[in-house]
Amino acid sequence: MFRNYLKIAWRNLKKNKGYSAINIGGLALGMAVTLIIGLWIEDELTYNDYFTNRDKIAQIFQSQTFNGETGTGPAIPRPLEKALRDGFSDNFKHLVMSSWNNSQYLNYGEKSLSKTGNFIQREAPEMLDLKILEGDKDGLREINSIMLSESVADALFGDEDPIGKVLKVNSQYDMEVTAVYEDIPINNSFNDAQFLMPWEKYITAQDWIKDASDNWGNNSFQMFVQIADNTTMEKITSKIKDIKKNLNPDSAEFNPQLFLFPMGQWYLRGDFENGKQVGGRIRYVWMFGIIGAFVLLLACINFMNLSTARSEKRAKEVGIRKSVGSQRNQLINQFLSESFLVVLLAYCLAILIVLLSLNEFNDLSKKVISFPWENGIFWLSSFAFILVTALVAGSYPALYLSSFRPVDVLKGTFKAGPYAGLPRKILVVIQFTVSVAFIIGTVIVMQQINYAKNRPVGYDREGLVQIPTMSQDFIGKYELMRSEFLNSGAVVELSTSSSPTTQIWSNRSGFDWEGKPEDFQEDLAWTEVSPEYAKSLNLKIVEGRDFSREFATDSNAVLINQTAKKYMGLTNPIGILIKDDDKENPEPPLKIIGVVEDIIAQSPYEPVKQGLYVFDKEGNGNYYNLRLNPKQSASQNLAIIERVFKEHFPDIPFQYDFVDDKYGEKFASEQRIGTLSGVFTSLAILISCLGLFGLTSFVAEQRTKEIGVRKVLGASAFSVWNMLSKDFLKLVIISCFIAIPISYYIMNGWLQDYPYHIILKWWIFALAVIGAMAITILTVSFQAIKAANANPVKSLRTE
Amino acid sequence: MLLQLNNIFKWVQQGGQRVFLLKDINLEVEEGEFISVMGPSGSGKSTLLNVIGMLDTFDEGTYNFLDESAHTLKEKQRSNLYKQYIGFVFQAYHLIDELTVYENLEMPLLYKKLPSSERKAMVADMLDRFNIVGKKDLFPTQLSGGQQQLVGVARALIGKPKLLLADEPTGNLNSKQGEEIMELFKQLNDEGVTIVQVTHSEKNAQYGKRIVHLLDGRKISD
Repeated sequence: MFRNYLKIAWRNLKKNKGYSAINIGGLALGMAVTLIIGLWIEDELTYNDYFTNRDKIAQIFQSQTFNGETGTGPAIPRPLEKALRDGFSDNFKHLVMSSWNNSQYLNYGEKSLSKTGNFIQREAPEMLDLKILEGDKDGLREINSIMLSESVADALFGDEDPIGKVLKVNSQYDMEVTAVYEDIPINNSFNDAQFLMPWEKYITAQDWIKDASDNWGNNSFQMFVQIADNTTMEKITSKIKDIKKNLNPDSAEFNPQLFLFPMGQWYLRGDFENGKQVGGRIRYVWMFGIIGAFVLLLACINFMNLSTARSEKRAKEVGIRKSVGSQRNQLINQFLSESFLVVLLAYCLAILIVLLSLNEFNDLSKKVISFPWENGIFWLSSFAFILVTALVAGSYPALYLSSFRPVDVLKGTFKAGPYAGLPRKILVVIQFTVSVAFIIGTVIVMQQINYAKNRPVGYDREGLVQIPTMSQDFIGKYELMRSEFLNSGAVVELSTSSSPTTQIWSNRSGFDWEGKPEDFQEDLAWTEVSPEYAKSLNLKIVEGRDFSREFATDSNAVLINQTAKKYMGLTNPIGILIKDDDKENPEPPLKIIGVVEDIIAQSPYEPVKQGLYVFDKEGNGNYYNLRLNPKQSASQNLAIIERVFKEHFPDIPFQYDFVDDKYGEKFASEQRIGTLSGVFTSLAILISCLGLFGLTSFVAEQRTKEIGVRKVLGASAFSVWNMLSKDFLKLVIISCFIAIPISYYIMNGWLQDYPYHIILKWWIFALAVIGAMAITILTVSFQAIKAANANPVKSLRTE
Repeated sequence: MLLQLNNIFKWVQQGGQRVFLLKDINLEVEEGEFISVMGPSGSGKSTLLNVIGMLDTFDEGTYNFLDESAHTLKEKQRSNLYKQYIGFVFQAYHLIDELTVYENLEMPLLYKKLPSSERKAMVADMLDRFNIVGKKDLFPTQLSGGQQQLVGVARALIGKPKLLLADEPTGNLNSKQGEEIMELFKQLNDEGVTIVQVTHSEKNAQYGKRIVHLLDGRKISD
């Protein structure tokens, strides 16, 4: 029986090639989109699956409140470690302090690499359950040991046995390799931990870290924990949340709240707003999930529409089958198995499309998704996916077709009633509503990105290059390098800064100044810069003056930005002293000498943060900012810079970034979403148009006789075209009226996430409507013109 | 008694008025009969046949098929009746274009859920009997009208029905082909199959043992 069904289905498909191509092709496209999105979602949801203890691992987070605004982050002070070990050790299996992930130079023999890694406490490899390939899992026991990831070990040692080799880190420490661990896959936290070194090394290396051991105010570290088996994160959080406040009464005014942030939520739910968890990337998971479902729905609608539109052709068969004893449910089964066949074919095609486009998609989405050939669950869910799709696409046609009464259809007088086309029209409206909403959404996302991109950044980022100078080698070398670079002719100006131009690394509070409001809890961005900072960035001084090497007193001078002037409530900022409010051991006061234009150092969607640019006395910033010589090409300049750099730092790999590129990275995430939603929108439109194309050819075929009669009676080709197009155009216009309020509501909500955002203008919607109509006219016209130009004699003879 | 129609009325509403398609029809059919239903166009012949075949409903009256009241049957029971007792032959053959001759013949057996070996034997039997073995892999559109109707009759008979209902079985055929089909019917009737046929043709009607005349939905002679 089933074979008989499939045979008929297959022969029908073969007989109507155009129809089958539209049906299968459209479905395949829709399924391919859904599959790819499915793989992407799977990838997102399995983030951190590499860690076997992931359900028990958490990071300690801290919320603090300044002026009523609560900020939440992973930075914690060092004394917290002792507090937790002393009072709460029962609750934890492992407690691991860690530095931030930083880049370091690793030297072995001739080889010199810049790699990123952490200083971390001894239990980390155990907690993360790293797969040790060589050496000892407890490899951070000795203070001068280093554990390397497989790829770093390969890059440094090649075929040699790495264990026991001594390499130089940052030209400073000799570290002995104690273990090699499998690279942590990209789809996991810590995937940038290419090496691990002992925490003890870190806390003895630099004075500020040593001094931080009993300083509750220095939130510069992070801590990971694995909780004990007999407790929960919530229980521990309720025990520890107030310990900072209790042990350090000074901090109470900021109400520091500590809590455990579970590993399972790091990636997808890492956004906090005013102390509350508000989701994160999970939003995009939902968004793309919904897009995928809708694209598939569009493809299913094509199938439904084309199947029911063809119903008159199948009606006779239904009648015959019923008259030889078929029951309705047997016919339903038959039509469902037909849709199953179509969906199965479409699925095979979809797999092909996925295979062909996976690389492109990976580039677009910055993923390394591979096709899960060997994943049984994938195939199982694929089967379910095929079944569900076949059911969704096939159920309506099956119910519709199987309902025909044999006596009607066998008389040969069967004509669908006046309302038979209504469900079809409703489905077309749904399709175009979704498509138009997609168009509007994509246009708005693109606009928002462009708007933020065109926002004045406050400085000249073209031709500006930054070189990281965090290593000890650079200490005391700035003046020398400055004259060397300037003399080389490749650089017209340069400066150092404690954080890169496109970021803020440090914030400070605890100041006092004339006119400071009572109880004002300030929070100021803190960047230490060399005197030529403003010059090298082409940063405009709006009031007062720039730093100058001429004035010895400038070592205690400070530039503030425009936002800071407003924030601190200063009308005449020049000459105001910013004092340290530490009574016992105050640092010398800073004198405001000028106000500089705001620059976007953080999110281009956020207001600029109030900030201080402090004179860096030692000139040991973390970055050199180089203004390239505009008279030469960038590559010439860079070649010269590299040569000069290598002369002085032969062991250090030459690394640089164009500030413009770094700034561009701020848009990467939105840009990706924009591009992806653009691609999916195009596909959605394509699928809808395929369906429309099929429907029009059907209507044209059905009305052949009518068109012939009309033409014989004198209708022009234009009026026939008009007659055929009008019906569909009407549906599209209805769709637009449904789509506009929905997309307005959703996109307006999306924009509210960005403080700096576009205002929705009516013409965006008008544009989408015009676009949708143009696409419809184009699609419909192909068939309509063909029908309109057909010779009426021919079409009338066929009756 | 194979079937019995008592006071059957069937009507449609047209502009607030009842237009009667069948009016007070009483008909008894015994097993082994061969009845021809005659009448001008629109007299209700086909409607009567459809009512007998339970393809169509009626508005008043009772209908007993093998001593069961057929008008109260559910769809499932009705389709069981087709499978067991009734075969249809149509004027326009109504073969499924996408299936070969063989597959068209096999289809009713599939709905009877017969095992594959039995189906094969029965189809082979029919092909043999109607002399169309050589055509078994052709599609209906590749056959002449007479051959198609032959397949249609074969399909109606393959389930070994008690009752064969034929709606102008020769309407689309030339006279020679028509004659062959009628001869076939006669032969079938001799073998014990009850036949009710609707026809325009006086000559074909004479093959029947009993002729029923209809006019405007009424039975005017039997």
